[in-house]
Amino acid sequence: MPISTSPGSPGGPKSHIVKFVNCRLIKGNELVNEDLWISSKTGKIIQSQIAFYQHQVIPDEIIDLGGRILAPGFIDVQLNGFAGFSFSVVPGDITEYVKGFRRVNRSLIESGVTSYLPTFPSAHQEVYHKVLPYCGPSGARRNPNDGAESLGAHCEGPFISPTKNGMHRIDVLQEAPDGFQDILECYGPDNLRPKHDSNDVFNPIIKMITAGPELPGVAAAIPDIVSRGIIFSVGHSEATYEQMKAAMDAGSTMVTHLFNAMRPLHHRNPGIFGVLGQGDKLQRPYFGIIADGVHLHLTSVVIAWNAHPDGFILVTDAMHPAGLPDGTYDWTNGDHFIKKGNVLTLNDSETLAGVTIPLIDCVNNFYNAAEVSIPEAIKPVTSTPAKMLRLEKTKGCLEHNADADLVVLSEAQEGSGRKALLVDQVWKFGSMVYKRQI
Amino acid sequence: MRLIIRDDPQTASRYISDYIVDRINKFNPTPEKPFVLGLPTGSSPVLIYRNLVDHFKNGDISFRNVITFNMDEYVGIPREHPESYHSFMYKNFFAHVDVDPANINILNGNAEDLEAECLEYEEKIKKAGGIELFLGGIGPDGHIAFNEPGSSLSSRTRVKTLAYDTILANSRFFGNDLSQVPKMALTVGVGTVLDAREVVVIITGAHKALALQRCIEGGVNHMWTLSSLQLHAHPLIVVDDDATLELQVKTVKYFKSIEQVSLSQGFGQTLPTAASVLARRQTIVEKLYSPTSPTHSKHDSLDLLAEPPKLDRPITPEPVLDRMADRL
Repeated sequence: MPISTSPGSPGGPKSHIVKFVNCRLIKGNELVNEDLWISSKTGKIIQSQIAFYQHQVIPDEIIDLGGRILAPGFIDVQLNGFAGFSFSVVPGDITEYVKGFRRVNRSLIESGVTSYLPTFPSAHQEVYHKVLPYCGPSGARRNPNDGAESLGAHCEGPFISPTKNGMHRIDVLQEAPDGFQDILECYGPDNLRPKHDSNDVFNPIIKMITAGPELPGVAAAIPDIVSRGIIFSVGHSEATYEQMKAAMDAGSTMVTHLFNAMRPLHHRNPGIFGVLGQGDKLQRPYFGIIADGVHLHLTSVVIAWNAHPDGFILVTDAMHPAGLPDGTYDWTNGDHFIKKGNVLTLNDSETLAGVTIPLIDCVNNFYNAAEVSIPEAIKPVTSTPAKMLRLEKTKGCLEHNADADLVVLSEAQEGSGRKALLVDQVWKFGSMVYKRQI
Repeated sequence: MRLIIRDDPQTASRYISDYIVDRINKFNPTPEKPFVLGLPTGSSPVLIYRNLVDHFKNGDISFRNVITFNMDEYVGIPREHPESYHSFMYKNFFAHVDVDPANINILNGNAEDLEAECLEYEEKIKKAGGIELFLGGIGPDGHIAFNEPGSSLSSRTRVKTLAYDTILANSRFFGNDLSQVPKMALTVGVGTVLDAREVVVIITGAHKALALQRCIEGGVNHMWTLSSLQLHAHPLIVVDDDATLELQVKTVKYFKSIEQVSLSQGFGQTLPTAASVLARRQTIVEKLYSPTSPTHSKHDSLDLLAEPPKLDRPITPEPVLDRMADRL
C-alpha cells in the first residue's frame, strides 16, 4: 500500500491541478454547489472523479471562492477595437499592428472576455489582405499570458446595404455579382481557407461574415461560405422576412446586432426580426444584441430575449477607445471621437459614433431589465455564443475537457436597488490572469 | 454492545461523526501508522459524511493518514456511473476532504476476475493492519454491506447476487429500468466486518425499527446479519428515536441509563487505543510474572492440594418460575 509515495503528497511531483471549492458553478440554467478541477498544464477543465480514482492525483492548489460564482469566460463576437487599438486601421509599420493586437488581448481579458472575434467594419480590400492574417485564431499556443484569444475574425461588411450602413463608410460597400468569387477576392482567398486544427475543427482566419443577403450575388454565396466553417450572419441589411428565411435555408445561422441597421418589425412585413417568431420546431437564428442602453431600448432587448432565449447573444460592438479614460481619440480621415462614459460622439457633434461599453455592463443591463436568473444572464455571453460558433465543446461551458477559461463573479447591489455582477478574477487556460483589487 | 439513542437522525449522525473525529485524532495517525477506516454507502451515512466534511473544513481533522476501505460496489456498472459507489463516495466525501486517493480502496466491480479482486481486497486489509473502525449502516432487513439475509456470519469478501427485492428497490435509481440495475455486487463479508477492531453502525428511521429490535433483543441469527455484532468485542450502535419503536421500553431505558451513568462517572464511550491497551497489558503481565512479585510467589506456593475456599453466603434458593403462558 503506497501511503507516503502518493502523487501530490507533500514533496511529491506537482499535479498542476487547481481545485475551486465553495463556489457556485453555472451549469445550464442552474447554479450548482460543486467543486471544479482544472489543469494548468493542459489548460482544461478535468473530470475530477476520473483524475482522482484513476490517476490518483490531488490538487496542488485549492481555491476557496467564498460562495462566489464561477462562470465560463465571456465571449464577445463583435468587438471593433480596445485600449486605443482598432483592428481595421492599418499602420505604416505592420509590426506595430502585431504589437497592438497583442496589447488588446492582454488588456481585454481583464474585463472577463477570454475569447472574442476581432471585428472589421466595411473596409477596402487592402485592409483585409494586409491585417486579417494577424487576427486569426490565436489560442493554439494555449499560453495564458497571451491574454484573450481571437477565435477568428468577424468581417462586418463590405457586402452590406448602402441604406443600412450605420457608421460604415459608404464608399467601400460593394455587391457580389460574381457570387463567392467576389467574396474570395475581397477578403483574400487565404483568409477564407478552412484549416483543420489538432482537434479536427475548421479554423479559417475569418470566423464570421456579416452581409446583406438581398445584395446581388450574396445569397448564392452563402453555401460556399458556410461549407468552409464560416458563420454567415445577416446584418446591415434591407432583407425582408422572405429573404431572411431564404438566407437561413442556404445556411445562415446568425443575425448581427438585431434591430440595429435593419428594417423594423412591421406587421405586414416582419423583416429579419420575424424569423424569431417562428415556432420552436422551425429553425431560428442566433442573434447579437447590443444591450448598452444606447443602441436599443432595454424593452426591445427583453422582447428579443423572450422571443428566442436560446439564440440571444450579447455583444458590445465596442470601438477602440474602450478600456481607456474619457477624452478625445483619433479616428480615420482626420475625424475624432469624443468618449464620454460609454458613449462616443463624432467631431464635437451629437452624432452617436459608437460605444465603448464592457461586456459585463451589457450583462448587468440585461440582468436587471429582463429580471432573469444569474445563469440566464451569463448564458448570452458564454454558452450561446459558443454554440453559435460551434465551439460548445471547448468554450462557454464548465464541462470536462472544455478550456479552463473562467470568470469569478461576485454579486453586488447598488444603492438604487440595481443588481450587478462584478468580475473578480479571470482565468485563461488554467491560470489566473487577472484579479480585481478589492 | 453500546447503544446510543438520539432524538433525530441529525443528532445521531452528529454523534457518530464527532466520535470518529475523536477516535482518529486520539489515534494520531502518521504515514507509518495510518488509521484504517471502513466506510459504507447508502442514505443513512450521508449526514455523517457531511458532518465529517464540516469538521475537515473547520480544521478539526485531517484524513491525510487515513486509509479507507469501502464495504461494497456493484458489478458491471462503469465507475463513473452516477449510481456507482465510487461516485457516491466521491460526491459525498472524498472530493471534499484531504484523503489521499492512493489510500482509498473500493472494490472494483469491473475487475476481469471478480474472485481474485475479492481475495486481493482481504489481503489489502490485512496488509494495512486490519480495520480499526468499520462504519456501517443497515438495510430494513438488517443486512450489513450486501450481506443479505441468510449470509454466512463468517463470510469474507466475495461476489453476491442481489435479492430480487433489492433489485426492484434499486430500479428507482436506474430510470425504473430493471435491465439496467446491477444484479451482482462485491461485498465484504460479515466476518470481514467483525474482524474490525471496532464497528460503528448508524440506524435511523421507523422502517429500520424491526431490524434494530432483532439485532439487539433477538439472538444471533443469519437472517438478520447485523445481529452478529453481538459477538463483536466493541460494537457501537447509534440510532434515532424512530428506530427504537420496536424495542422494549425497558431496553431503551437501560441503554439510556448506561450512557447517563458512565457520563456521570466521567467516561465517554471512547475505546482506548489498541496501543495503550497493549502497553497496559504488558506492564500487568510483567508485574504478574515477575519473580519478585508477591502474587507470583503465591501462585508458586499455592499447590493444588489446598482446599477450595468455602462459600460464605447462603446457597441461592431455587427460583420460583411463573408459567410461560402467563408471560405471553
